[in-house]
Amino acid sequence: MRTLTMTGLARMTGLASVAALSLMAAPAALAETGVTADTIVIGGMGGLTGPSAGLIIPQLNGVQAVFEEVNAAGGVHGRKIVYAKQDDECLPSRGVGAVKKLIHEEKPFMIVGGGCSNAAIAQKPEVIEAKIPWVIVASTADSLTEPVNPYVFTTMSAAWMEVYGQLQLALDQGKTRIAVVWQPDAWGKARLEPMKQAFKAKGIEPVSIQEIAVEPTDTTPTVLQIQATKPDAVLLLLFPKAAVPFLRDAYKVGLQPLMVGGSPLGEIDVLAKGVGSPDSVKNLRAVTAAGYGVDDPQVAKWKGIVEKRFGDRFNVLHMYGISAGQFAVEALKQAGPEPTREKILQIMSNLTVKTDTYAGPLECKPTDHQCHKALGIFAFQDGRVTGIGVTRPTR
Amino acid sequence: MVTLSNEPSAPRAIKRRNLGWLVGRRPALAVGVLLFAVLPLMANPYQVYVGNLALIYVILAVGLNILLGLAGQLSFANGALFGVGAYATGLLRLDAGLPFWLALPVGTAITVAIGLAVALPALRLRGLYLALATVAFAQFALWTFVHWDSVTHGTAGFVMAPVDFTALGLRTTTGIYYLSLVLAVLLVAAAYGIMRSRVGRALVALRESEVAAESIAVDITRTKIVAYTLTAVYAGVAGGLFAGLLNVVVPESFNLFQIVLQFCMVVVGGLGSIAGSAIAAVLLIVLQEGLRGMQDLQEIGLGLLLLGMLLFAPGGLVQALRRWLPGWTEPHSRGGDE
Repeated sequence: MRTLTMTGLARMTGLASVAALSLMAAPAALAETGVTADTIVIGGMGGLTGPSAGLIIPQLNGVQAVFEEVNAAGGVHGRKIVYAKQDDECLPSRGVGAVKKLIHEEKPFMIVGGGCSNAAIAQKPEVIEAKIPWVIVASTADSLTEPVNPYVFTTMSAAWMEVYGQLQLALDQGKTRIAVVWQPDAWGKARLEPMKQAFKAKGIEPVSIQEIAVEPTDTTPTVLQIQATKPDAVLLLLFPKAAVPFLRDAYKVGLQPLMVGGSPLGEIDVLAKGVGSPDSVKNLRAVTAAGYGVDDPQVAKWKGIVEKRFGDRFNVLHMYGISAGQFAVEALKQAGPEPTREKILQIMSNLTVKTDTYAGPLECKPTDHQCHKALGIFAFQDGRVTGIGVTRPTR
Repeated sequence: MVTLSNEPSAPRAIKRRNLGWLVGRRPALAVGVLLFAVLPLMANPYQVYVGNLALIYVILAVGLNILLGLAGQLSFANGALFGVGAYATGLLRLDAGLPFWLALPVGTAITVAIGLAVALPALRLRGLYLALATVAFAQFALWTFVHWDSVTHGTAGFVMAPVDFTALGLRTTTGIYYLSLVLAVLLVAAAYGIMRSRVGRALVALRESEVAAESIAVDITRTKIVAYTLTAVYAGVAGGLFAGLLNVVVPESFNLFQIVLQFCMVVVGGLGSIAGSAIAAVLLIVLQEGLRGMQDLQEIGLGLLLLGMLLFAPGGLVQALRRWLPGWTEPHSRGGDE
């Protein structure tokens, strides 16, 4: 009996492949995907499961809260917004599949999403190839928006902005002996290099640059090394999981200079609880994308909406999403009753929007799609996180 | 009259053999190949992407089965070798400027060289000690991907330009898909060739008993090196294709979950069964995509599936197929089919 040999199998595959290729046709162009007479589909992707879900879900809930409010008020030019989300687990390897599924199965008109930089970097070529307008909610890697790409906008502060803002805050307070602590992951590395450039631009050298693990249990040796350099300010490129043990150990050994963190450390009250003492954060300042404290009256409306609708504890992460959602809605409104992707791109390239959760307006220009310019400065005072100023970092 | 023989009667055997040509392993694989070949004509780009991922995992699982299923070597290094293949191919393109066509084979050769570096100490180890040594290698490789910034670009990884298939008149996604399909078919066919050769029988002898294998003149050292080399070839090719598919390489793609996933494919398919590995790879990738948004369920589900198969169906899917359908045996000699 004839058996199917290796060459036979290979030949069969070759023939099948050739047959398949010969039948392939160019995909037909679609006109205004995602828009119907009464709906407009907006896509969103982020880590809805996995270790980063706690950071990403509130952001996308913030976006959704805006869309649901708009829908309740009649929609945009009579169209209700349908927010279709896909889980990318914050992993590049899963992110490509997520954005492909979003683009080709949910068929959105535009995208408002993206919370993790590495996943967003992997997704960017797919979005560009599909020519879909993309408003990034919280991915901060500079490479996402530098150089400018016509399809990609961010309403989050870019990585370089926060570190320049952190250093400027320390310098503005007359500090000259400045140390840096960072966590060795993609997020930390994306900030360390701009931080070094910021020091260089100001013509000073950090007294110490120390690395601590992403989830350390004891940071005492690092704290003692920093203390030995007698810093008058420490810039923290850390997430709360690293910042809490660092602040705890610094408090323990009496290292209490000015400390300046970024957006992830915006919830100083939560950090104080984690450390176990409000005194441990009395010198901590956070330069964040959000413009208001969670208890500030300016965001009280959104706090009520988010907590009622999602059962979340309102925090700065929701604020990122709310601003991104409001930016997208304003662009849709300006696009008129017959929105096209081209029109939206043109509008967003020259759009200025004062949102409810950021300190200053989002300002996009054709040469600058990093639209968030004004960062809030926060401190923990009288038992609550309080805005104490605004900074507009420049390079 | 009572017969003591378990052999089926002649007409029954002929009937079973004929049925095997309809529902057996070969027609199933042929239909599978045909479905994969026409998938880009019928499916959207996302579904084609999932199909491509499945093909890459078919290569990985079949390669791991040579080492784990045929040779019985409990190695956890395959996730790391997959990563080495992806990094080597990607970096050769990005930093050395090699075209993909050259970077893929050179990247595979680098993976084989590193696979052999793992094999050399592993030659002296067995069972639990081998497992621990290969886990250590996997962790070391991950550490290297993360911390050797000057070469690997660190935690942020790197992004490459899409692979250019314009010379063949194909878009990148289509080109990578059909390249993956052709390589998957060739490597599955090659695995069957190895399985039915003297080398394949030596691998099985090694798995069953090193002492017994040595007593029948199987060169244990050489056979182990062959097993590690072959698996590294498959991992290197799969890694290179993975880098070409995603256009981005980052360390977290090659973590512990990668090893769990690959082991699941081999165990669920059936240890030692090439067809089983290929089928399980496709099923698990489709399942993983179907459970997108339910990561907890994915991880718990994979763990339970692995445990369930080990407890209740240690022979895997292919064992059930062999029980119920003719034509699913995978002989270790030419002409040994049902």
